[in-house]
Amino acid sequence: MKGVKSLGFFLKALLGIGMAAICWGAFLWARPAQSFVGESSRIVFFHVPMAWVSTLAFFVAAWHSAQYLRKRRMENDDAAAGAARLGFVFCVLATVTGSIFARVMWNSYWNWDPRETSIVLLLLVYGAYLGLRGALDDPERRATLSAAYALVAVVTVPFLTFAVPRMYQSLHPDTVINTRGKVEMSADIKTVFFSSMVAFMALFYWMWNLDRRVSRIVRERSA
Amino acid sequence: MRLVAESLSRSFGRRAFGPVSFSVETGRVLGVAGENGSGKTTLLKTLAGLIRPSGGRARIFLDGEEAGEGWEPRDVPWRIGWVAPDLALYGELTAEENLTFFEKVRGLAPAPGLVRALLEGVGLPPESHSKKSLSSLSTGQRQRVKLAFATLHEPDLLLLDEPGANLDEAGRSIVQKVVAEQRLRGITVIASNDPRDLALTDERVTLS
Amino acid sequence: MSAPRPAAGILPAAIAVFGRELLAEWRTRVAVNSLFLFAFAVLVLVAYAVGPTRLSPEDRPTVNAVLLWIVLFFSAMTGLSRTFVHEEDAGTAAALRLSAPPPGVLLGKLFANVVLLGAVTAFIVPLFVVFMGFEIRDPLLFVLLLLLGTFGLASASTFTAALVSKASAKGALFAVLAIPLLLPPLVGCVLATRVAATQADFSAGVDFLRLLVAYDGVVTTAAFLLFDAVWRE
Repeated sequence: MKGVKSLGFFLKALLGIGMAAICWGAFLWARPAQSFVGESSRIVFFHVPMAWVSTLAFFVAAWHSAQYLRKRRMENDDAAAGAARLGFVFCVLATVTGSIFARVMWNSYWNWDPRETSIVLLLLVYGAYLGLRGALDDPERRATLSAAYALVAVVTVPFLTFAVPRMYQSLHPDTVINTRGKVEMSADIKTVFFSSMVAFMALFYWMWNLDRRVSRIVRERSA
Repeated sequence: MRLVAESLSRSFGRRAFGPVSFSVETGRVLGVAGENGSGKTTLLKTLAGLIRPSGGRARIFLDGEEAGEGWEPRDVPWRIGWVAPDLALYGELTAEENLTFFEKVRGLAPAPGLVRALLEGVGLPPESHSKKSLSSLSTGQRQRVKLAFATLHEPDLLLLDEPGANLDEAGRSIVQKVVAEQRLRGITVIASNDPRDLALTDERVTLS
Repeated sequence: MSAPRPAAGILPAAIAVFGRELLAEWRTRVAVNSLFLFAFAVLVLVAYAVGPTRLSPEDRPTVNAVLLWIVLFFSAMTGLSRTFVHEEDAGTAAALRLSAPPPGVLLGKLFANVVLLGAVTAFIVPLFVVFMGFEIRDPLLFVLLLLLGTFGLASASTFTAALVSKASAKGALFAVLAIPLLLPPLVGCVLATRVAATQADFSAGVDFLRLLVAYDGVVTTAAFLLFDAVWRE
């Protein structure tokens, strides 16, 4: 047990140092492209990982929801709920950072760009899921019904990616993996960017684990 | 057939009932007693498969399958009849329409006259079961319709939660008749604190 | 091991549930009244506030398409939760749960809601077209959109109603849960309705019809797969 504990401490320390290094790298080391995006592009080091983690969390929640319906183990419900709670937080952060960037770039906080629309839909789904959980008292009923909702949402929400691009022209810069199928970044930006992606996922994983442990203690206490 | 409960329990955050264990054979009537709040209704709902147990298990062993694992109540709902104060039938429909509807959704072969015979068997005159909507009947009359609903499909397991509630003397004799008929067919479980209901039972479980 | 005696067939049970829904609705007219009156009241409000003349010709197709689908969406939100919510409130859900095979219940109620919402659509759309001076250049595309859109609305709403009927604060929660599920097809319906209003070119709308067919198929399949767990919880 002592070995596991000290490994956990080591990983947490590594994450802390890594996050600090990414902040340093993002603002002091990486040289942004000289194009019209300029200095404001440094936000991608934080905005994109947040958006990515909030999307990932949605699928993690759906996966554990499916597992709950198959095995009916409350651990899966804890995991799904935890992923949704954190996904919601990251989704809010991604929306806010994206909105700030939009203000700098296009002089408007919000213009219903396809990606903005998608993230609002994701916010609505998270909100609805957490609202449903709040309206159910019995733990097993809450687990079953919210799992069913998460699964219906995960199959219907992607349809938006088909409908929305036909609505407005996108102002959003190309995604990391773009249609040309390769990453167009200079080496220093690439280093900071992908380190940040890994660090944000590690951060999510750590917070998610804490949440699951808390849920488990609360559940065992009340039983 | 046989109904077996092994350390069966249910909690909603806090304990609702149990753990209880019992085993009942065909032809027998089990009484479930216990003061208010002891979980009689929840136990019967669990036996009906309407609620999942939190611990232990309930199993139904059907004739000819006694050796197997048995069935969870929720997997054989068409073998179970249930009457309870929480149970309601469709108020906008007449008693006859209600029973005909349940006959259809259960996929029973339509037997003309069966529904009428059942309703007369529970002492409802024709004008009150074919003309009036269920919501305009009295509580006691509705209780009689519920008894007819629970026995419509000749269940192996009949669960009666407070069967005598709101019934007059004639109504109580109908409960007796229903229980006597169920003895020939399978198992009856009666949850009640009324000595007149418990007098119909052979065995007793007391919840606390 | 399979169950000792098969449960009732899904189709006969669905037909019985469907018939009972319509009979009860015919006698009480609760859902019909709320749906039709709501749709009509909103239409009157919109026609009075916006009307056919206040919009410039280039805005008209877009604004009318949006308003039409808002009317239909919120009409669905007022009436379609009743099928399951009333079942739980009145205490009849347990009787149905013990008697009917779950897919039969969903199928019967889904089609009852499709008929209900279809009737409202058939009632409100001609009035909308007249009151708002909404010119449709491609009627075939428009009708297909209404059919597919109504089915998608009914399908997602029926499943959401089954979820919401088990929760507290049902009324508020119903729309909150339904909006994220329905936003993709509604956006598609609005865009395609604009296409139907501006050009008589059916091929321009085919993409949206494909979207709606796929959505309707996926949401209905998911609803059937998940319904058993929801209904018997």
